[in-house]
Amino acid sequence: MAKGAKRPFGAVPGRMAAWIGRHVSFFIFAVLAVLATLCVRNFAARDNLVIILKQSAIPAVACIGMTMVLMTGGIDLSLGYIVGLASIIAGILAKTLLLPVPEVVLAVLLVGALIGLANGLITQYLRVPAFIATLGSGYVIYGLAQIVSQGSIVNRLPKGFLAIGRTDVLGLPSAVFIAAGVALGFHILISRAIFGRQLRAFGFSPKAAALSGVPTARINVLVYAISGTLAALAGLLFTIRVNAAQPNMGGGVFTFEVVTAAIVGGTSLFGGIGSVAGSILGVLSIKIIENCINLLGVSYHLYLAVQGAIILVAIIVGNLTHHRA
Amino acid sequence: MNETLIAMRGITKFIYGSDGKPIRNTDVKILNGVDFDLAAGEVHVLVGENGAGKSTLMKILGGIIPPDAGELHIGGQKVDLLNARDAREKGIAFIHQELNLCPNLDVAHNMFLGREPRRHWVKDAATMYERSSALLQALSCDLDPRTLVARLSTAQQQIVEIAKAMSFASRVVIMDEPTASLTKREIDVLFDLIRRMRADGMGIVYISHRFEEFLEVGDRLSVLRDGRSVGGMRMSDFDPDTVIHMMAGHAIDEMYPRTHAVQDDRVLEVQGLRLTPRTPPIDLTVNRGEVVGLGGLVGSGRTELAKSIFGVRAFAGGQVRYLGRDTTGWSPGRLIAAGMAYLSEDRKTEGLVLGMNIRENTSLASLSSVATLGLISRRKEQTQAAGLIAQLSIVAQSAEQAVATLSGGNQQKCVLGKWLSTEPRLLILDEPTRGIDVGAKAQIHKLIDQIAGTGVAVLMISSELPELIGMSDRVYIMRAGAVVADLAAGPELTQEQVVAYSCLGER
Repeated sequence: MAKGAKRPFGAVPGRMAAWIGRHVSFFIFAVLAVLATLCVRNFAARDNLVIILKQSAIPAVACIGMTMVLMTGGIDLSLGYIVGLASIIAGILAKTLLLPVPEVVLAVLLVGALIGLANGLITQYLRVPAFIATLGSGYVIYGLAQIVSQGSIVNRLPKGFLAIGRTDVLGLPSAVFIAAGVALGFHILISRAIFGRQLRAFGFSPKAAALSGVPTARINVLVYAISGTLAALAGLLFTIRVNAAQPNMGGGVFTFEVVTAAIVGGTSLFGGIGSVAGSILGVLSIKIIENCINLLGVSYHLYLAVQGAIILVAIIVGNLTHHRA
Repeated sequence: MNETLIAMRGITKFIYGSDGKPIRNTDVKILNGVDFDLAAGEVHVLVGENGAGKSTLMKILGGIIPPDAGELHIGGQKVDLLNARDAREKGIAFIHQELNLCPNLDVAHNMFLGREPRRHWVKDAATMYERSSALLQALSCDLDPRTLVARLSTAQQQIVEIAKAMSFASRVVIMDEPTASLTKREIDVLFDLIRRMRADGMGIVYISHRFEEFLEVGDRLSVLRDGRSVGGMRMSDFDPDTVIHMMAGHAIDEMYPRTHAVQDDRVLEVQGLRLTPRTPPIDLTVNRGEVVGLGGLVGSGRTELAKSIFGVRAFAGGQVRYLGRDTTGWSPGRLIAAGMAYLSEDRKTEGLVLGMNIRENTSLASLSSVATLGLISRRKEQTQAAGLIAQLSIVAQSAEQAVATLSGGNQQKCVLGKWLSTEPRLLILDEPTRGIDVGAKAQIHKLIDQIAGTGVAVLMISSELPELIGMSDRVYIMRAGAVVADLAAGPELTQEQVVAYSCLGER
């Protein structure tokens, strides 16, 4: 108050900086979109934009779960491996065992949920740091997926199963609408519901939250279960898109992409800060980068390097601001 | 008199605002022109109530913080200590209440941490073990310097700290409540050690609240109160009443509101609760409309008792009865729903979510009351926050202001607001006015009285004696995990009585 009174003009840029800070993911997205439109040929073509949407749908679903885990101050490194296990299970159930489609979907989501639940219970009650717990469980899952698949790929999946994500709606595959629906649901949950508020409070300050009656243990376990379920859904949609169930799908590369997207979306690695809208914009942003790298004919590995750089910069910036606060 | 080792003159330390700058234009100072001397071959006992400035004074002597004014002389020479290391090199060793040893290293490595003897750039382990062994033997301690510190008892760790201090050729040793976690036998060993150090011509500053202990080992006593030296005496002239009087201070010059009336309904009844298996059972009651004070020194178990009642700390026995029901084992969430509230002493990490704004903080414990079908109504929440800002006179631009940018007093009002939103029937307040300015303090006192006036039962922990006596209808005093007194409050209750029970456990 006193500072504002002394420098009436000083407050305005500060407030604007804060506003930009809060909507940083939108600015990143907007700048990237404008730059790509101006500098990369064919970027703004309708077909190319549809490709970006199609490619964003699957990581977007996974990124919502990761965002919630990051908001608690944890991380889910098993996410990409759950995608692979979900894929091979879906393939076996749908093609080899010829199970009805709803049962396949439920079974795959349930596997994801149970793995996530285990991650949550290990971090919450056995006090294993999330980083270690999910790295370990991720490799367990990866190994299991290889064993289950016996090293082979299940392709040419049943039409009824493929229809979940491939049905054409208004020129877009249904997978995009599934992702949009999931995003809308979780947006409301995180930004409007009691659960979301308690999740944020827990992420910022677990002690204060617990003393205010927030069921911190339940929330901490639940976010991993949600992350696992959404990873399984992502695996399902991925399998449908490529029409092949394979245990190597997802993996560490996918986990890394999802974490990068969440960070570009404004999620803090220190907990408390994150939003579905931000994470969706984060996914779109990094998919624009990937798309441009493709269109320009540059090595795909540049995309990986860019992701690594983004995470490093985010951690460094986070550290600087965190310690100053 | 022996050679003077330490002379501190006019040591002053300001209180610091939330912006990190000292507040000079106030009479309230952490230390206000304190003088302190220490001679060779003496044990100088430093006593004072919570917040009297003992720790700050010793931190200045230990080079941990610099004074804002005043001079420090070591061995007759004026010096400015740069940091703790500098102090140690000038012969001052600080043995903290929480011992600072690395549990994963052995005794010798701890004693020579960061200054291991070297030969040709390589650590000379043989010399290190030899020297640490010699130092331990000089203290008549047969500890093997190769023992891992993790395996040592607290008392043994303390001896290692002392041996470490000797290895610096320290002439001054500061001990901050060294007996806090020791058994009677270990205390005897420690006292033997202190006597031996004294005989060797060292000077020892001994901070303690336990009269019976410092009487045994001390030579001289100084009392601090509210950041000032209020006197001292040789231990041979010791008189508990005089010391208690000096610690407690005089008249209560503030006015405390008292409009509430105690009712007959019992709200809280603690029956035979043991904080640990070794502490005695605690009984305590709070009625509707009653303000019950909980006094005692920091570390006497007051906060632990409050947290045990509020379901965040496991206790060793007994039960908590709240509104006629046994609530032992209930979670805070369930207790909050039943109308219990706990305002923590640690506002910044336990009271507030600093990353959130006023609206989000004040609704955090009562979200279901501003939500429909699990979805928070922004409008209801804003109305609630606006109401609290008006009711508690919170000075803020709007309910959307981040709580981290508020002053201490306004932050505390936000925490209070959070609990008022839950419509509590029992409000437990842990140091409700710590670290807030005088104006906000008076407002909070008035609010507590008003809250009690609406029939809420209030249990208030306070280290501020005037507040404890002035606000409460009854006062319990805790000492070493036990309730040692249940006193009717009011003007007839004196600060001396509270201090006597806190320090001696009796009157």
